[in-house]
Amino acid sequence: MLEIATVFDFTLNAVIFVIGVTAVLASLGVVLCSSPIYCALYLIGHMICLALLFLLYNAEFLAVVQIIVYAGAVMILFLFIIALLGGKKEVQENSFHRSMAITFVLILLGELYLSATVGPTQQIKGEIPVELFGTAKAIGLELFSKHIVAFELASGLLLVAAVGVICLAKFSFAPLRRRVK
Amino acid sequence: MGQEFVLLISASIFCVGTVGFIIRKNPLIMFMSVELMLNSVNFLLISYSSFLNSLDGQIFALFIMTVAAAEVVVGLAIILTIFRTRHDMDVDHIDVLKG
Amino acid sequence: MFASSWLILLFPLLGFIGLSWYGNRISRNLVGLVGCGTVGASFFMSLVTLSNLLFLPDEERVGHVQVLYQWISAGSFKLNLAILVDPLSVFMFLIVTGVGFVIHVYSLGYMHDDPEYSRFFAYLNLFIFSMLVLVAAADFFFLIVGWALVGLASYLLIGFWREKPSAVLAARKAFVMNVIGDVGMVIAALVIFESFGTLNFIDVFSAAPGAFRPNDDTILLITLLLLVGAFAKSAQLPLHTWLPDAMEGPTPVSALIHAATMVTAGVYLIARCHVLYELAPFTMYFIAGVGIITAVFAGSMALVQYDIKRVIAYSTMSQLGYMFLAMGIGVYSMGMFHLMTHAFFKALLFMAAGSVIHSLDGEQDIRNMGGLKKVMPITHATFLIGALALAGFPLTSGFFSKEAIIMSSYYADMGNIIFWVVAILAAGMTAFYIFRVYFYTFFGDLRNSQAHPHESPMIMIVPLLVLAGLALFGGVLAPWVDSFLAPVFGYTVVHHHDTVLETIAVIAGIGGIATAGLLYLVSKDRLSLFKEAIAPLYDLLFNKFYVDEIYDFLIVRPTKAIGAFLEQKGEREGIDFAVDKVAAQVKETSHIISLWQSGKVRAYALNMIVGVVTILMFVVFM
Repeated sequence: MLEIATVFDFTLNAVIFVIGVTAVLASLGVVLCSSPIYCALYLIGHMICLALLFLLYNAEFLAVVQIIVYAGAVMILFLFIIALLGGKKEVQENSFHRSMAITFVLILLGELYLSATVGPTQQIKGEIPVELFGTAKAIGLELFSKHIVAFELASGLLLVAAVGVICLAKFSFAPLRRRVK
Repeated sequence: MGQEFVLLISASIFCVGTVGFIIRKNPLIMFMSVELMLNSVNFLLISYSSFLNSLDGQIFALFIMTVAAAEVVVGLAIILTIFRTRHDMDVDHIDVLKG
Repeated sequence: MFASSWLILLFPLLGFIGLSWYGNRISRNLVGLVGCGTVGASFFMSLVTLSNLLFLPDEERVGHVQVLYQWISAGSFKLNLAILVDPLSVFMFLIVTGVGFVIHVYSLGYMHDDPEYSRFFAYLNLFIFSMLVLVAAADFFFLIVGWALVGLASYLLIGFWREKPSAVLAARKAFVMNVIGDVGMVIAALVIFESFGTLNFIDVFSAAPGAFRPNDDTILLITLLLLVGAFAKSAQLPLHTWLPDAMEGPTPVSALIHAATMVTAGVYLIARCHVLYELAPFTMYFIAGVGIITAVFAGSMALVQYDIKRVIAYSTMSQLGYMFLAMGIGVYSMGMFHLMTHAFFKALLFMAAGSVIHSLDGEQDIRNMGGLKKVMPITHATFLIGALALAGFPLTSGFFSKEAIIMSSYYADMGNIIFWVVAILAAGMTAFYIFRVYFYTFFGDLRNSQAHPHESPMIMIVPLLVLAGLALFGGVLAPWVDSFLAPVFGYTVVHHHDTVLETIAVIAGIGGIATAGLLYLVSKDRLSLFKEAIAPLYDLLFNKFYVDEIYDFLIVRPTKAIGAFLEQKGEREGIDFAVDKVAAQVKETSHIISLWQSGKVRAYALNMIVGVVTILMFVVFM
């Protein structure tokens, strides 16, 4: 007879497995689709899957951030640019470059998998109470105490990015000419 | 699920992103591939944060998101500028640095 | 006791540094004041040192080494920043700073219109400093340092008018000749260090008599190598060719370098190292022989030159020959005394000639002079005094010093009749050529109608008068010099008196003067007749025995030919060819490799992945 905890674990593992595989498939869809619009949609799906995984791994704040910032703001930006530039389909031919890339990345995957055989990890006990782990409060406490400098630097980075984008958008550039050989 | 599964998923997504970056010619999709790679790393950081019961991984992931957002914004602006000047969406045609 | 002697060296050095740094920013008057004041202060300190020295009894006057700072101490080898204070070095201090000071003052007037006034005085101060380092050195190391510094300063001064190609060439020639001497000196110092284990004068000289038998191979080697340096610096045969050319520099430079200081360095060196030379009688004979040959050789060339400064330059060589003769026959203090009187009258002659040149706007050819006796009375009088002293006219300073050497060349232990005869011949020539110049310059009519000669300004006249007084009455110092230098040389020289020989010497001098007067003063026809009669000899002398041409043929041309050959075969077809080939190959190969650099982002990304895969291989499998 199955105990409740075992059933729960099994169900949780099954859910994680299904969501993970979906995320991988969605990422394949991003890479393989010809039309940029479909790619963007697949990417949104991929990100939602990842947000669910974050939730399952006790990171509720980040899951929400993932949905709002990534799947929301960033992907809207992508879609907006695609709409602006026109979502032309891309002809995908089987070139030497493409096969080389796939071969090497498969080798890379194999190597990563071989090097990923780690033993069980010991938990660092008692640092953070279980009920607080991954909440906005815990993240905020960490962020504004331990990582305040990095936080300020990140704010500077965002400011620079904003200024840079304004510069890029505002001033027009003369067309680049190919160098004459 | 165990740690090996998390690592495998993460590595798979990363590799798919890499392939996408190399084989696609549309700069937008190349950017999306970069997002895939970043996301795979984020996933790894967050899951291990949970395994280790330490919030540092989540904080790191948060910063990665910040950087990624900034990078996407600037990158898209650059793509837009390039398109405005060249009317061309193929990265292979941008080879001014050719040796 | 002599701790303040350092100031003698310090003042000119400070003057040089100050004038080099601030010379262009301060007024010309201040430049002149600094330039002269430092040397004057140095002269004053030399007098103080002299008075300190005179308070000591004779036997305590030698061997005062003033150590300022221990520079190097490596095992048994020690090198101190030290100066040696003894009668010889103080004697040289006095000549260098005293005559140098007078020449500095003269330069105030002579260089008055030169745009690079401060550079000139900076160089002059550097020169005085270098010369003082040379004579103050307490070991062979600093002797060579001073030796090389003097060479540098003379290079700078001879080439002072750097826009004149001939001046630059002359400076280069002087430098090269001096470097030949420096090399000899350095090798000599190394041999000394090898033999004695020290470079210190006092240690070397006290150890030398016990270490060598007379005419030992090593001592011969040392003395002859030192002689190379001495000959180069003092323009003795065969390293003399730089001296006449060096007349391209400004006249005060000629007076300073070629009368009072630099050329006497060789004489000073032999006097300083007399302990070594006494162990090598062969070298002594060699010195005396070269000296006397140079005296005649240079004198004969001076007979026919038309450049007023060149004549005086050859006469310097000739007088240096006398000094070397004195050194060679072992009458050091007579040589040093002649060095002193020569410094007086030769500086006087140079400066008087400079005064003439100055008033004729740079004219140096005596054929374009003449009749200056009335226009420039003081210059005329001082030149006459200098010429008389040079000719050894009785009772002038030159008479006492030269006569003593000529007498000793017969009577001294190493003297013989041949030395005496040649010395008399050279004395006759000396009288002839200097009075030839004198008559050419100051008598007759001015042969250049454009020139407007005038007496020089007071600032140039006063130094002339001071030196004229010294040249005229310097002879009375003879006994004092002998006794003052006796502690250094260890004995007092004996003055020989022989009425017959003295009379002959005086007659030779006066005969030379008379001949010059007969040929150049009375009638021009006789001169041209005489010239035709000895035409081949005249040509030989006028072309300076073709020594420059011989050097050109023997050394310069083969060197150039070898150089050209090596340039073609070694450089063009060897090194250049190889380098060019390598460059071409690299260019070709890199052109192929640069195809890798496609400029496409995706290709770069693929390359990067390949790299990551390769590196991960090590992580996974090792």
